[in-house]
Amino acid sequence: MAGGESFDDTQVMTPGEIDAAVTGISPGEATHSAQVVVLGSGPGGYTAAFRAADLGLDVVLVERWPVLGGVCLNVGCIPSKALLHAAKVIDDAAAMADHGVTFGSPVIDGDKLRDWKNEVVGKLTGGLAMMAKQRKVRVVTGEAKFESPNRLRLDNGETVDFRNCIIAAGSESMMLPGLPDDPRIVDSTGALELTPIPKKMLVVGGGIIGLEMACVYSALGTDVSVVELTDTLMPGTDPDLLRPFLNIIKPRYEAIMVSTRVTGMRATVPSIEVSFEGDKAPSVGVYDRVLVAVGRRANGGTLDADKAGVMVDERGIIAVDKQMRTNVPHIYAIGDLAGGPMLAHKATHEAKVAAEVIAGEKSYFDARAIPSVAYTDPEVAWVGLTEIEAKAENIEYEKVKIPWAASGRAISLGRSEGFTKLLFDKKTNRVLGGAIVGPSAGDLISEICLAVEMGADASDISLTIHPHPTLSETVAFASEAFEGTLTDLYMPKKR
Amino acid sequence: MAKTIDIVMPDLGDFENVEIIEVLAKSGDTVEREDGLVTVETDKASMDIPSPENGVIETLTIAVGDTVSTGDVIGSLTMEVGDTVLITPAIATPITGETTVLASAEDAPSKPAGKQTLVVPDLGDFDDVEVIDVYIAAGDKVEIEDSLVTLETDKAAMDVPAVVAGTIESVLVKVGDRVAAGSSLGIIDAVAGAVPPKAEETVVEKVVPATAAQPAPQPSATEVPKTLPAIDEAGFSKAHASPSVRKLARELGVNLAKVIGKGAKSRILHDDVKSFVKAILTGHSGIPGGSGLPEVPSIDFSKFGEIDVQPLTRIQKISGPRLQASWINLPHVTQHDLADITQLEAKRQELKGPAKERGISLTPLAFIMKACVTALVEFPKVNSSLSDDGENLIYKKYCHIGFAADTPQGLVVPVIRDVDKKDVYEIATELGELSALARDGKLKLAQLQGAGFTISSLGGIGGTAFTPIVNAPEVAILGVSRSSMQPTWNGSEFEPRLMLPLSFSYDHRVIDGAQAARFTTLLGKALGDVNALLKAIP
Ligand SMILES: Cc1cc2nc3c(=O)[nH]c(=O)nc-3n(C[C@H](O)[C@H](O)[C@H](O)COP(=O)(O)OP(=O)(O)OC[C@H]3O[C@@H](n4cnc5c(N)ncnc54)[C@H](O)[C@@H]3O)c2cc1C
Repeated sequence: MAGGESFDDTQVMTPGEIDAAVTGISPGEATHSAQVVVLGSGPGGYTAAFRAADLGLDVVLVERWPVLGGVCLNVGCIPSKALLHAAKVIDDAAAMADHGVTFGSPVIDGDKLRDWKNEVVGKLTGGLAMMAKQRKVRVVTGEAKFESPNRLRLDNGETVDFRNCIIAAGSESMMLPGLPDDPRIVDSTGALELTPIPKKMLVVGGGIIGLEMACVYSALGTDVSVVELTDTLMPGTDPDLLRPFLNIIKPRYEAIMVSTRVTGMRATVPSIEVSFEGDKAPSVGVYDRVLVAVGRRANGGTLDADKAGVMVDERGIIAVDKQMRTNVPHIYAIGDLAGGPMLAHKATHEAKVAAEVIAGEKSYFDARAIPSVAYTDPEVAWVGLTEIEAKAENIEYEKVKIPWAASGRAISLGRSEGFTKLLFDKKTNRVLGGAIVGPSAGDLISEICLAVEMGADASDISLTIHPHPTLSETVAFASEAFEGTLTDLYMPKKR
Repeated sequence: MAKTIDIVMPDLGDFENVEIIEVLAKSGDTVEREDGLVTVETDKASMDIPSPENGVIETLTIAVGDTVSTGDVIGSLTMEVGDTVLITPAIATPITGETTVLASAEDAPSKPAGKQTLVVPDLGDFDDVEVIDVYIAAGDKVEIEDSLVTLETDKAAMDVPAVVAGTIESVLVKVGDRVAAGSSLGIIDAVAGAVPPKAEETVVEKVVPATAAQPAPQPSATEVPKTLPAIDEAGFSKAHASPSVRKLARELGVNLAKVIGKGAKSRILHDDVKSFVKAILTGHSGIPGGSGLPEVPSIDFSKFGEIDVQPLTRIQKISGPRLQASWINLPHVTQHDLADITQLEAKRQELKGPAKERGISLTPLAFIMKACVTALVEFPKVNSSLSDDGENLIYKKYCHIGFAADTPQGLVVPVIRDVDKKDVYEIATELGELSALARDGKLKLAQLQGAGFTISSLGGIGGTAFTPIVNAPEVAILGVSRSSMQPTWNGSEFEPRLMLPLSFSYDHRVIDGAQAARFTTLLGKALGDVNALLKAIP
C-alpha cells in the first residue's frame, strides 16, 4: 500500500477545517501547519522530511540554523572528512620519500584550506535546500519548542501545528565544567575552523571525534597531545584494533595520556596551562590550543518536550519503540537524541522508519548491526559483535585475523600494519561481527555489514570472487582461513 | 433534561452476525438498565442484550431473524439525563470515599479533582485477566481516553482508558499481573472539570491547515495503534533471514521465529514468508501460528461416487481448531482403569425413586463428579494449568467441573461451579438444569466458562474405552464408558461386579504417569465408597 493513496481514500475534513475553508482563518491561527513537522535538519531530520514528502505527506522542516544539514554536514562528518583527506595527502606524500618520490615540505595556506572545506560543506547543504524545494518540503527557520502535543512555537513568535512530529534535534558537544572562557579552548566545531593552526595542541578526550581532529592537526604540523580519562583510547573498541593505530600515532604525537584526569585549566597570555592527575602525565602541560571532545549531549531536554507529554531522560534522550514512536503515539524521535550510538547513518535509517510509519507503512528499525568508523590514519572500523561484548555476554565465537602483511595491495600501498578480523559462530559458521584496521577500513567494513545482516557464513564470502589485488580480498581471506582453505598465508592446520 | 441515545450491540466476544431470536421490548416501553431488549443466538449460547441505560425505548429497528454484529445500532432510547448514571469505561473511585461515577448533574458533568484510584472496569465475563502492557508510569500526565494498560482475555486484548485526566501518582500493576473488575491500577491526581471529549474534539483533530485553499487530508496514520503487534523479538532477531525478508515479515506481522526456511542453508526466503501466511489464511497449517505439519492430501471424492457437501455447524467450526490445538500442543497420554460401582449402583437405584419424586434425576454422572472432587483435592495438579510461557503451574483453588453435553447443535461443555461445596443431590439438580439449557441452546456464556477439569461420559451410549482430548488449557479430562458386569477375582472365586471403565487423558508436561495411575486408583476407590459420596455438605 502506498501511503499517499490511503490518504486520498480517507480524505475527510474536520469541522475546524471546514470553518477554515469558509472563513479563510484557522482557529488558533498557527503560522504554519502540516501533516508532519520535522524538528531539526541534520541527517535524521532532512532524511525524514524528504522520505515523508516522497510518500505524499505535507511536510514542514524546522531548523534553527540558516542552513540545513545539522551537525553532520556543517560541523561534523563532512568538514572533518575534508580536512582528514588533506591530512592523508600530506602524510602519504611524505611517506613516499622513503620509496624514492620526494616532494618538498608542504606549504599550508590555512585560509585556503578552510575555504575549500567550507565549499565542500556549502555544496552539500545547498544541495539539500534545493532538494527540499523540489520535494515541496517547507523549510521554516527558527528555534522551536513544544507548546502542546500538536504545536511548536518558534523563538520568532511563529507557530507550527502538526498531526505528527519527528523530533530530530540532535546533540551538542559537552564542555568540561569550570573552564576559563577563552577562544583558545574549543570544541570540535571550533577545531574545524583551523584559526590559526596552533603549534601545540591538547585534545581532551580519546574518542573518535577527538582522535580524528588530532590526526588532522598532527598532519598540519601541530604537536598533538591526547588525554583520556579511561585506560584506553576509543573506549569500547577491541584492544587489538588499537595496536596498529597506536604504533603509528605514538611516535608522531607528543604524548598520549590514558587514565589521566584534567583537573584544571588556566588561561595565560602566551598559552593555556592544563593540570593533570595521572600516573604517566606531567602535573602541568602548556598548550596554545585545547580541544575538548569529551562527548556529546542529546538535545531532548531543550525542547519543552513535557508540554507535548514526551518523556525525556536525564541524559536528554527520548525513548522510542522499534517504529521510532515516543511515549506519545503521534510524536517520533530519531538520531542522536533517540538513544544508541550517535552516528549519522543510524539517524538516516531511523528517519526513514519514522516517515514510513507515519505514512501508514509497517516499517521497523530492524538492523542487526550499526557500523562504527574512526576516520583516523589508519582507519579503524568495526561492526556487529565485538570480542569485548562476546566475552561479557558469554557468546561463543571463533576469531580469524588476517594481517595485511599478507595482502599484496596493502604492501604496495606501503601500509601493511593493518589487519582484517572476522568473528564467526562456531556452530553455523555465520559471521557475527568483524573489524578492519588500515587505510579505507571504513569503506571495506560494508561487506561485513552486509554479511551480518544477510546471515552470510564463511563460505558465502569465500566463494564470492573478490577482485585482486584489493584490500577487500582480506575479508575473503579471513573467511577462507576460518574454513581452512586459505592459501595466501600459511596457517597451522586447525581442522 | 431528556436525551436520545443509540442502542448499540455490545461486544459479543467471538461472535459476529448473530441471529436475533426474540425481541423483548417495543417502542414506548420504559426499561431499566440491564433489562433485556432482544435475545440473540450464538453457537455457544443464546443471550439477552441488555438496555444500556434507564429510559424509554424510542425505536427498535430490528426484528426476529435479523443478524447483528458488535457495534450495530439496533434502536434508540430516550433517557432523562438528570436521573441517569453515566457509565464510563473505567471507574475512578476517589480515595476520600466520594464517588466519581457521575450522577445527576444538570449541566455537563465534571469530575472531582484530587487523588483517585484508577480501577479496572467491569469486563463482562472475564474476572481474572492478565495485564500485558502498562502505559503509565508515576509522573505521567494522562488525558481522558488515554490507555492505561492493556488486558488480555482469552477473547481479545483490550485497553483500559483513563476516565479522568491528571498526573499518575503511582502505578500498582505490572505486566504479568492478573486483575479483575475493581482491581486498582494506580493512583491519579486528577484535574478538575475534565470531561470525556467527544470524538470530533480530540487533540489530533484540532490541527487545521494554514491556508484554507488546501485542507490537509485526514491522515490514516493518526490512528496508528499504540501497541505494536506482538512479535517474539528474541526469536525474530535470530531468524536466518536477510533485511528485505525481515521487512516483509514485519509488514505481514509474521513471527520469523516460526517460519521454516527453505532456502540454501535454511535461509528464510520471501516465498517462505508468503507461504507461511497463505497456510494460515487457508487454515492449512492447522493451528494459528503455523506448525509446519505435512498436509493431508486433498481428494476429489466425487470421482468415486455421489457426494453431498454440508457445512460444519458453527459449534464444530469453533471447537475444531481448539481440539486440534490441544491435540497438537499437548503431549497426551490416556490412563485406563476400571472402577467397581456395584455398591454405588445398588444404592443409586434405591435412592433414584425418592429423588425423582423431588424432581431430581440422580444420574451416575452426579456421583462420578462427586468422586472426582475427592481425587482433585488429593491431586491438585490435575486442577491446574500451565502458564503461557510454560514456566509456572497455576493451581486453581476452586473446583469447577465441566461436562461434555451432546446437543443437536453439537458438543458443548457446561460447567458446574464449586462442585466441592455441593452434595450429590445439588450436583444432580444442576446437571439436569444445565443439560436442559444445553439441549435448548439457551446456555449463557458464563455457564460455559471457568472449568478446571472436564468429564466426558459416553456411559449412556456404549464402548469400553476411548481417548478423550484434554480441554486445554485444562490439563486432564476423564472419559467414562459404559459399565458392565464382569467376573472379578476376589481371591478365592470369580464374582460378578459392575465395572465402570475410566479413561483419564492428561497433559504429560504437567502430570506424570505414576500420578495419573494414582489419580484413577483413588477415583476408583472413591466410587466404591458410596456412603462417603452421599455425605451431606455441611
Ligand atoms: C566532529 C564530528 C564528526 C562526526 N563525524 C561523524 C562521522 O564521520 N560519521 C558519523 O556517522 N557521524 C559523525 N558524527 C556524528 C553525526 O554528526 C551525528 O550523529 C549526526 O549529525 C546526528 O544527526 P541528527 O539528525 O540526529 O542531529 P544533528 O545533526 O545534530 O542535527 C540536529 C539539528 O537540529 C537543529 N535543532 C536542534 N534544536 C533545535 C530547535 N530547538 N529548533 C530548531 N532546530 C533545532 C540543530 O540546529 C541541528 O541542525 C560526527 C560528529 C561530530 C561533532
